[in-house]
Amino acid sequence: MLSLIVVLPFLSALFLGGLYLSRPQLQNSFIYTAVGIASPAISAILSFVVLLRMFADGNTVYETLFQWIDIGSFQIAVAFMADRLSVVMISFITLIGTLIHIYAAGYMRGDPGYGKFFSYFNLFMGSMLLLVLADNPVMMFVGWELVGLSSYLLIGFYHQDHANITAANKAFILNRVGDFGFIIAIALLFVSLEGSGFTFDAIAANISTLSTERLTLIGLLLFVGAMGKSAQIPLYVWLPDAMAGPTPVSALIHAATMVTAGVYMVARYSFLYVEIPDVGLFIAYIGAASALFAALMATFESDIKKILAYSTMSQLGYMFIAVGLGAYSSGIFHVFTHAFFKALLFMGAGAVIIALHHEQNIFKMGALKKALPVVYVSMFIATLAISGIPPFAGFFSKDAILMAAFSSEHYDIWAVGLFTAFLTAFYMFRLFFSVFLAEGSKERTLQELPGSMTRPLLFLALGSATVGFLGLNEAFGGHSWFQNFLSLPDVVHEVSHTQEYMLVALSVTVALMGMGLAYRMFAHHPQEAKSDQWLKTLIINKFYVDELYDVMVVKPLLLLSRLIATVIDPKIVDALIMGLSKSYLLMGRSFARLQTGRVGDYALQILIGVSLMSTYILFKLGMM
Amino acid sequence: MLELSLFVILALFIVGGAVATITNRQPLFSAFGFLVSMLAMAGVFGLLENQFLALAQIMVSVGAVVVLNILSIMTVNAKEENLPQEPYKYRWILLSGVLVSPVTFLIYKSMSMAYQHFSTLETVNTKVMGETLFSAWVLPFEIVSILLLSAMVGAIVIARKKDVIAKETR
Amino acid sequence: MTPEPFFFLAALLFSIALVGVVSRRNLFVIYMSIELMLTSTSLVLVIFSKVLGSADGSVMALLMIAVIAAEAALFLAMIIHLYRRNRTLDSEMCDELKQEANNA
Repeated sequence: MLSLIVVLPFLSALFLGGLYLSRPQLQNSFIYTAVGIASPAISAILSFVVLLRMFADGNTVYETLFQWIDIGSFQIAVAFMADRLSVVMISFITLIGTLIHIYAAGYMRGDPGYGKFFSYFNLFMGSMLLLVLADNPVMMFVGWELVGLSSYLLIGFYHQDHANITAANKAFILNRVGDFGFIIAIALLFVSLEGSGFTFDAIAANISTLSTERLTLIGLLLFVGAMGKSAQIPLYVWLPDAMAGPTPVSALIHAATMVTAGVYMVARYSFLYVEIPDVGLFIAYIGAASALFAALMATFESDIKKILAYSTMSQLGYMFIAVGLGAYSSGIFHVFTHAFFKALLFMGAGAVIIALHHEQNIFKMGALKKALPVVYVSMFIATLAISGIPPFAGFFSKDAILMAAFSSEHYDIWAVGLFTAFLTAFYMFRLFFSVFLAEGSKERTLQELPGSMTRPLLFLALGSATVGFLGLNEAFGGHSWFQNFLSLPDVVHEVSHTQEYMLVALSVTVALMGMGLAYRMFAHHPQEAKSDQWLKTLIINKFYVDELYDVMVVKPLLLLSRLIATVIDPKIVDALIMGLSKSYLLMGRSFARLQTGRVGDYALQILIGVSLMSTYILFKLGMM
Repeated sequence: MLELSLFVILALFIVGGAVATITNRQPLFSAFGFLVSMLAMAGVFGLLENQFLALAQIMVSVGAVVVLNILSIMTVNAKEENLPQEPYKYRWILLSGVLVSPVTFLIYKSMSMAYQHFSTLETVNTKVMGETLFSAWVLPFEIVSILLLSAMVGAIVIARKKDVIAKETR
Repeated sequence: MTPEPFFFLAALLFSIALVGVVSRRNLFVIYMSIELMLTSTSLVLVIFSKVLGSADGSVMALLMIAVIAAEAALFLAMIIHLYRRNRTLDSEMCDELKQEANNA
């Protein structure tokens, strides 16, 4: 059953791809929609069956498809493992993925690459499911790479525009940098374990045999991989550019798949990170820095999708704070709730963009409250959720993370988290007010939104409003059911309820302050941010990080490439090779001269040989 | 002492004939040197108390091979301008003589160091040779006879004039 | 008498003949040099026959004389054939098998 969950999207991707290539005249055929949506839907149903079974007996499910590599102690099976963590992951990935697929059917209607899109989309789903359900690090890496590939394909989906190709390349290459760390970590792990099995279970059982230094190195390298996939400092620059893809792609990348892979990976290796709290702290600091940094950039951004992209990065920063401080289940809980409201936000944004004929600047929108009531309501819920206003989903998960930071006495991280929460509320409501409440231009015709685009919004709005209660902790009268179900090796610090209530009150106040500030500034006459102060200029230009990378990495690389292409390759390498071949030719010519065809010459050659041999023998025998 | 002086005389004839063979420009003169060398060789065979081989050497090598050779040379009857021009003949001989000297030395030394005395047995006479030839060596003997036959046929085919072959096959 | 001078004679004859083969271009001379080399070999066989007191070497020498005869027939036939074709006795004129340096 597990293998079916994974294989089904791949099969349908293959089928749709083949169909698209062989029948180009099938532009918007029903079959694309049917197959494209059916495969994630079936995967979702199967995932829930697995989840229900897990509720019943709580056992981890294993399934081996076949042995892939079998070289001595290096044995890799194409095998799947569904423990509590991965079951939770696949459940919401397939659920939200299916909703996004349905939404995409409406969003992509009429696009000439409709079939291709669904093929890539299913591939994306399959890759992510493979990543999550993998039984060993190598299979996880396969899924990891496939996610990178399919994100590349989808970001560069509108490949007619060169900028989109650049964005896709950027995403792909930055992910490569991260993958480099990941693959070295896997190799190190394998070498260190000396062949005592290479499934997650076996690694977890033998992890204590490794030295702390080795573990630290592996943990850091793994996190480099996570940085790339989950867009953390310093490998985040691909994320805003990845908005070049169609909006459902952004929704899928940001909500259910891809970017959460890094967090999932850290949680998956929690048995490793528990041993090395220093690396965990480093991860938490990176997460905090990313959260703040992204929030600042989102505050002055005016492209609706880029705001959401930065908000994703910021929320991912929260997740890394959680997993870095050992609160793995809180991190995964935030992944879970975030998936709902972020998918909702992106789908809402997509709906707005479609309705306004591909307008993406929030300051050119405005007053859509009446025109798009469904989108308005659902976006409102999602914005409340991401801002951490109770009782919406984001509040509980974000609160759990801030609590973890506070209780583990990392007050600096906690303060950054709190400030970021304020910024989050501010920039999210800035977006919301500018789009829906502020004055908009009167003369405009809105495009009709199909039902397939609005209905998933409502469903997700319901989810965003309620899923938080799954992780209700004791202070609010719950039992942290979600976190307990995951049964990850959390580092728990006790906090008294009064302290907790105070912290909650503080974070809610901060969020409301952000909301209020946004209302004052943007609810009526929103103004696009102008770079009149140096700080603003710095933030609007995204801290010049892209330019910095350009100068530090891209330019030298290009220069080096040019050097190699114009000097080293033709003048040195080619010259060497050509010289070698020429020398062989010359040698051949000179030896050909020996073949005169004249008997006497051959006889002379023989005589010379015999003479030399005789001389040698005479010397050896000591006769001369 | 008589043996040694005989040997020296015969050896001088052989070497002299051989040198004459390889140095003369005219093939006919070479052939005479060759003849002398072969005849003296028969004498050496006799000196080695192998009368049958000495006779065979005279009959076959001198009587057949050398005569055939001289006949061929006369048949060809090459004019002076048809002979190869060899302006550096003696230089070449000198060069190859230098090159060949270690070979000579090696052959001579290796053989003479291995066998330093003749056998005292009187076993190599014509009767024993005949018995050996027709018992242990009968197969090589037959093969040689086939070889001679095929060489004869081959020689006729090769030396024939082209148009004769063409006429007959037509 | 010891076999040593006989061995020396055989080696010397062989070498002189070898020099002839290498340094001369006249086909007849080459042929005769080869004959001399063969003869020197049969001399060695005869010497061995006497040294070892066995008739085998002599028998081999006898067979070798027959081979020399066969070779003579073929070689002379070929010389005549070549002379008819090329009108020369120069061995260096027969160089059809040589490698043309410019098409390498």
